Amino acid sequence: MSLYDWLLFLHVTGAFFLIGGVVVAGILNLAAIGPKRRPSEIATLYRLIRFAVPLIGAGMLLTLAIGLWLVHESPWNYGYDDAWVIVALVLWALAGWLGGIDGKYQRRTGKFAERLSAEGDVPTPELYARLRAPRALAVSYGSGLLAFAVLGIMIWKPGA
Amino acid sequence: MLAAIRPDSWNLPLFLHVLGSTLTFGATATLALVGFSGLRSGPERAAWLRSLAFRIGGYVLVPAFILMRGGAQWIADKEYPGNAKTPGWLDVGFIVTEPGAILVIVMLILAWLAARRPGFRGAVAVPWLASVYLLALGIAWFAMSAKPGS
Repeated sequence: MSLYDWLLFLHVTGAFFLIGGVVVAGILNLAAIGPKRRPSEIATLYRLIRFAVPLIGAGMLLTLAIGLWLVHESPWNYGYDDAWVIVALVLWALAGWLGGIDGKYQRRTGKFAERLSAEGDVPTPELYARLRAPRALAVSYGSGLLAFAVLGIMIWKPGA
Repeated sequence: MLAAIRPDSWNLPLFLHVLGSTLTFGATATLALVGFSGLRSGPERAAWLRSLAFRIGGYVLVPAFILMRGGAQWIADKEYPGNAKTPGWLDVGFIVTEPGAILVIVMLILAWLAARRPGFRGAVAVPWLASVYLLALGIAWFAMSAKPGS
């Protein structure tokens, strides 16, 4: 196996970690939105979402670092100024930025659910409002969709 | 890399295959997490988590698996039509997905039984089977991406 083969494997591993982590967080987040969830149940789901964070972080790092290295090592004359590389980098950065905003919001929601769980486990309208806030959901699922869009760009490589 | 050497008509099946694979990985990881969490919880919480694990399996893992396997077959038929000999890295993918389908079915049956019967001992196998399948998926993506021996 050549260096390029190893780099491609690590890059794909990064993509699996990143998108896999996004899927884990997305499924658990969706489960938390479900009707009549008690705060303790929501807190349990948010504790599980924490396992996705290192997966997403490692995926972000691997896809970027190894991806840039791959462009350099590529035998197909790809360059850092290729449109598909630039668009992928912009979408990657945007996904990371939105993911960061979402992560902070989710952590606060998780802590709020933990507090309510310790104070009698009675749900409040405020908790449900946080879980279903349209802007927060748009940021959350928007960051995930951007990761899927980068995957599409990697396959089609428009302009290459 | 592959864009330079593969026809455009292969892009959609490849995208669907990779999309299905990453969704399968994420769904299997979620199933494992929820399953292990269920094993450590009290009876009431465990019942809810087991039911959730079954629903994740049915609503997310199965469609993702079908997308992965369908996309794989579509692109394999384009790349190696008819009786063309398939390379070893592709065979690894089939080895992982075909017995993998049986593993997913067994996992779903156990998750369903675990969701219905609070004392069902087979519940313990669900997150472990999911973990085994995660490992198998890792082997498949190594074979698919690095293509050793090709």
